[in-house]
Amino acid sequence: MTDPVTDPLLVVDHLAISFAHPRPAVNDVSLRVGRGEVLALVGESGSGKSMTARAVLGLLPPGARASGSIRFRGEEVLGLPEAELSRFRGSRIAMVFQEPQTALNPVRTVGWQLREALRAHAPVSRAAARARAVELLSQVEIPDPEERLDHYPHQLSGGQKQRVVLALALAGEPELLLADEPTTALDVTVQAEILALLRRIRDRTGTSILLITHNMGVVAEIADRVVVLQQGDVVEEGDTRTLFAAPQYPYTRQLLASVLRLPTPDDVPAAPLRGVPEQAGTPALRFSDVHVRYGSSRRGRAFPAVNGVSLELAPGRVLGLVGESGSGKTTLGRLTAGLVPLAAGRVEVAGEDLFSVGARRRRELRRDLAFVHQDPEASLDPRMTVGASIREPLDIHGVGTPAERRARVLELLEAVRLPADVADRRPRALSGGQRQRIALARALVLRPTLLVADEPTSALDVSVQADVLALFRSLQQELGFACVFISHDLAVVHQVADEVAVLRRGEVVESGLVADVFSRPQHEYTARLLAAVPVPDPAARREPAPLVEVAS
Amino acid sequence: MLRYVLGRLPSALGLLAAASLLIFWLMRLVPGDPVDTLAGPDASPEARAAIRAELGLDQPFLAQYVDWLGDVLTFDLGRSFVVGGQVSDLLAAGAVNTVVLTLTALALAVTLALVTAVTAVVAQRRWLDALLAGINTVALAMPTFATGLLLVLVFAVVVPVLPSGGTPPDGFVARPDIALQYLLLPATCLAVPVWAGLSRFLTEALRSQLRQPYVTTARAVGVRHRRIVLTQALPNALPSAVTVLGIQFGTLLGGAVLVEAIFTWPGLGRLIEEAISGRDYPVVQVLLLLSVAIFVVTQLVTDVVHAWLDPRIRIGGAA
Repeated sequence: MTDPVTDPLLVVDHLAISFAHPRPAVNDVSLRVGRGEVLALVGESGSGKSMTARAVLGLLPPGARASGSIRFRGEEVLGLPEAELSRFRGSRIAMVFQEPQTALNPVRTVGWQLREALRAHAPVSRAAARARAVELLSQVEIPDPEERLDHYPHQLSGGQKQRVVLALALAGEPELLLADEPTTALDVTVQAEILALLRRIRDRTGTSILLITHNMGVVAEIADRVVVLQQGDVVEEGDTRTLFAAPQYPYTRQLLASVLRLPTPDDVPAAPLRGVPEQAGTPALRFSDVHVRYGSSRRGRAFPAVNGVSLELAPGRVLGLVGESGSGKTTLGRLTAGLVPLAAGRVEVAGEDLFSVGARRRRELRRDLAFVHQDPEASLDPRMTVGASIREPLDIHGVGTPAERRARVLELLEAVRLPADVADRRPRALSGGQRQRIALARALVLRPTLLVADEPTSALDVSVQADVLALFRSLQQELGFACVFISHDLAVVHQVADEVAVLRRGEVVESGLVADVFSRPQHEYTARLLAAVPVPDPAARREPAPLVEVAS
Repeated sequence: MLRYVLGRLPSALGLLAAASLLIFWLMRLVPGDPVDTLAGPDASPEARAAIRAELGLDQPFLAQYVDWLGDVLTFDLGRSFVVGGQVSDLLAAGAVNTVVLTLTALALAVTLALVTAVTAVVAQRRWLDALLAGINTVALAMPTFATGLLLVLVFAVVVPVLPSGGTPPDGFVARPDIALQYLLLPATCLAVPVWAGLSRFLTEALRSQLRQPYVTTARAVGVRHRRIVLTQALPNALPSAVTVLGIQFGTLLGGAVLVEAIFTWPGLGRLIEEAISGRDYPVVQVLLLLSVAIFVVTQLVTDVVHAWLDPRIRIGGAA
């Protein structure tokens, strides 16, 4: 690694990017990446971190205007025509994207796409391309690379797809790798593997990496230096250890403070219960040996999404369901409302068997049950005002007079700490955090006894997530509803849940009080999940033991 | 793949059965009586009754239907009431002409649509986009009879270089060069609306594919724009374009009736026109059923091609 100040590989000077929109996407960004260095570009949504990286490769969306300077090895690349840019793309600077599900061409094989990347720079024979493709796939540690060449993207798991995307980027032996949130869409154990792989690639080939991320844990795991962006401006820059130990700028401090941490073994074990104390009586929800299958069982291709789950949730308690993709946690949530067919077992809501009562009674039971979904943008009708959205359940069930309904809407807006005039706005005029508060208000309008929250904070920035979780927790204590809280994020569940069930491939591997399970995991899988969570502390950086990838 | 095709078969057969019943029933609702046409205005009631009995028209509706269906299934299509001769002979004579005409038009439309859509997306020139969009709109808006008359006027009357109608006197095989001259005008006329719809759809499909993340991936590794369009965006846009083409095939069948009338092309379109004006039930029924069958088969083929083009359906299932 060379000194980024005296011998930089990439120099970005006073970069500004704007669209027709009045506020520029990037206002004034200057940064340097040294040879062999991992530089993390950190910021929340709208900070301009992705746009900065895209500008380096001339991949800005149409309509973007960029000014300033971007020099690679002293050569200006900003504003170069497409034909000139392709001298850099792939062969000197390459990029890895966030969403491996869409970053690969669905109708072309892995081998074809690798060959195409190799041919972009120099003519290469079929046999040579194939040999090099196998080499690349081995480099990103994909098992059976020879065989994988003939696979289509949809036949690979998410983690394998991201490895292929990485192999594509490495095909031209670039000196600089731009990695835009390369692990955000992945499960936590897969994320740990990909981060370790990125580090090994840097060590082996000396490739510099500009890593874009919102996750301070990821930064602490891998970065040498950090640049913090806020609304298109660089607010702080420094060596990773120094910056984590003594952040200078308030925004950086806030960013670090809002990161949720899991307890370490040194913490005091078994924190006192935070929920309403357990009550005797009928459980709010009970799963007894529940099975759900997707696909046709007649053709023998049924896929068991939930396989013999038994759980119980007492009134007023919060049960966290954690697991990686394909673990069946969302299916269990939907089962609570009777939204998926039950293959076997019993689902009892407030003591009544949801699947054997009549349609009318089931509707009544559903009235006491509410949902909060992951994406507030998709779950609120964009053409309805916020007030109408919150009031809709009251209208449907004919609760109260119109005046009472309006009063209830205002009451709830106050409960979720939003000003009353928000009621007349439309969802588009609100931020992600505000929209999720609206979704919560709408869920609570009928005074449910059971709330199902499916990844309610996953789409939010960390600082907003912390606020929404605190609000959620205080409303839960105040109103006393029971809650099934689904999340892939162990730290989030640790924050809000009283009890937790760890799911894997449709089965509960471990359940119990959050404090017990997280500090003394009994099952090897729980321990592995906990170990894979990146710790936002560069001092605690570790080389994780090689993990067997969990098929999803 | 085979299972996929077999899975589509029951609904296709069901549709055909329902269509046959509907067609048979509709024909009996059409005002006018074939007996009038055959017997003439001065026939005695006895003569009329005799004709009616001979045609089987005195039987109850369902019996007539079952009779007819049994005949059709055994390829005994019956005699024409009015045009004369065996229905199967009439069909055979017309079918060759119509198949040649529609397939030529189809090939023309698909080739032109591919060329125009790919050119527009590769070239990325504003003036070219505007020009193509203009031509496209005119082509979609012009009714077939107007295009047909215009083509005849320009290429057969003002600049008489092509025959204004009819089929090649020596057939299609003996002198392909002459056959082509006869085919050019009617096939173009038939192809224009199909080309317009397909090329507009394909251009949009290509553009939306170019906005997909995988295209950014390809650009980021240095693949050139034209190569991305041809080898990556096009294979992704084709499956849905094939589905659109399948639907457009209906336009082609409907257009054939008009085009054959304009260019005095003795095909199935002409036959159905004559048969309907003469209340020639057996001919009309069989022709309608045939066009439904062609449409059903087209949809089936479309689905199969769509599945074959998309590895997510062809291979299925995650690993």
